[in-house]
Amino acid sequence: MNLDAFELDSLSELFNVGLHRAAASLSEITGQRIVVDMPKLIVCPIAEIEKPLTDLIGGEIATVHQIFGGAVVGDAVLLIEHDKAALLAKLMTSGEAAGGGRLDQSAREVLAEIGNIVLGACLSGFGDMLELPVSFSVPRIHIESLKSILGSLRTDAAEPQYAVIVATQFRLSELAVDGYMVIAIPATSLSRITHALAERFG
Amino acid sequence: MVTLQTLGDVLDVGVLCVDPQLVVTGWNDWLERATGKRASLVVGRPLSEVEPQLRPSSRSALEQAVRGTTVVMSQRLHGYLIPIPSPSGLERFAYMQQSVRILPVFSDAGEERGAAALIQDVTERVTREDELRTAMEAAQIANKVKSDFLASMSHELRTPIGAMSAYADLLTDGIFGEVSGSQREPLQRIKSVGGHLLGIVEQILTFARIEAGRETVRPTEIDAIDITKEAMVAVEPLVSKKHLTLSSEFAASSIPMRTDAIKLRQILINLLGNAVKFTQTGGITITVSLPSEETVAFEIKDTGPGIASHDLKRIFDPFTQASGSLSRSHEGTGLGLSVSRELTRLLGGDIVVASELGVGSVFTAVLPRQVP
Repeated sequence: MNLDAFELDSLSELFNVGLHRAAASLSEITGQRIVVDMPKLIVCPIAEIEKPLTDLIGGEIATVHQIFGGAVVGDAVLLIEHDKAALLAKLMTSGEAAGGGRLDQSAREVLAEIGNIVLGACLSGFGDMLELPVSFSVPRIHIESLKSILGSLRTDAAEPQYAVIVATQFRLSELAVDGYMVIAIPATSLSRITHALAERFG
Repeated sequence: MVTLQTLGDVLDVGVLCVDPQLVVTGWNDWLERATGKRASLVVGRPLSEVEPQLRPSSRSALEQAVRGTTVVMSQRLHGYLIPIPSPSGLERFAYMQQSVRILPVFSDAGEERGAAALIQDVTERVTREDELRTAMEAAQIANKVKSDFLASMSHELRTPIGAMSAYADLLTDGIFGEVSGSQREPLQRIKSVGGHLLGIVEQILTFARIEAGRETVRPTEIDAIDITKEAMVAVEPLVSKKHLTLSSEFAASSIPMRTDAIKLRQILINLLGNAVKFTQTGGITITVSLPSEETVAFEIKDTGPGIASHDLKRIFDPFTQASGSLSRSHEGTGLGLSVSRELTRLLGGDIVVASELGVGSVFTAVLPRQVP
């Protein structure tokens, strides 16, 4: 299933709105100005996700993972390189979250909250703008390798699975942190989204 | 029957349930104990009445959950959901520090029924984290003071030692008058000892620079074989003095690399020097090979006494030798291996060691051909 240029643009815009909402929420909670860059999207079959993801990120990665369900179903994962994640958590809590560059338990909680806000804001766009309501599981945070993440995303489901990779940057103070979302979604859910995009924006 | 609230009691978390109007519909035993407010007097009342000090951010989080969104409230960003006095013995915080998850509650028909907040007391954990952070910061400051002291003392020593060697040179060259045969040897000894002291001072300075993060890499195009031969020449006097052999095996006559020549030479001199220092009979072999297209391996093998397995990790610690902690049976600062490993890592590689007691040791430095 290939998305045409219009569908990709519309999906990018959807995520852009979601990310800005997330940045606004985070700014309000932390009292700091947080902005996000216009996201870049890659859509591919889940079996082909390794190369584009390897080109973007590597090493130890902090992930926040949520399962979503409702009108569309799938897995959503926020990925940030571990060292940058520790720094992001530290800056958002005015230097209190992490010591020694590692994510302690409190810093992991902060990341879980950030992930919940970012993933929730982006995916609730399906509900708000496309009238495809979704609900979310409680977020889980892990520190893992890319190989481990890829293993958890691939399934033996009979229905073809697709990956939507969303690449952006979070900026606060003088720090710019690359953040990536991977939305693993079956073909029927992706099709539902593209139909809704066509109806809404076409 | 297991309810969310009894489950909360088993898991030692507070369970607060509210309806869409934020009227309390559930208040478990944990909350009764923590707040001193009985469920029978709380359930059915608006939360704002039960908790008059409820903050706007807490109210907003509950309202979000009631509308269908899962909410996470981390302790570091929010502190707490509802104000509960801090547990006794942990008075650093006025209120209990809480990690909270607020889940929307739906009926079987999918209608919004309210929200359930799961509240975990993390006051003790956060207190310990803060104590640990304070201790780490103090240790970092102490480490920096130590590094600054080392650098400062080494600088102070370098000049007079350099002057001493220079005067020995001038005397040997007869600048201050003719030097007799019997005077020449002591002058050579002064120069040799001066050179040795200068080497120790440079080692300490390098260690201090690495610790302070001030050691920089200057990559140039070099030949690994040429650098290896230069390092071998540097240790030959000591090899001859101890009647040992020094041999080499090279995978090629020339191995181009792009790396920091001075640091690579220092690494090899340190490793070869170490091997010579700890070997009494037999010899040392240095092998330069190409484990892959992108890497070069420098393997230094000796016929020394070997290193016990429990010492293998410690030998890279600064100021230690395998035989003991700060008491040293061989001369030297105990910094050679530590500095070698840090420099190797700066160049994008690492050093591994294998050893057998009574047979000898093999130190292998593997470096990328192009420094990252």
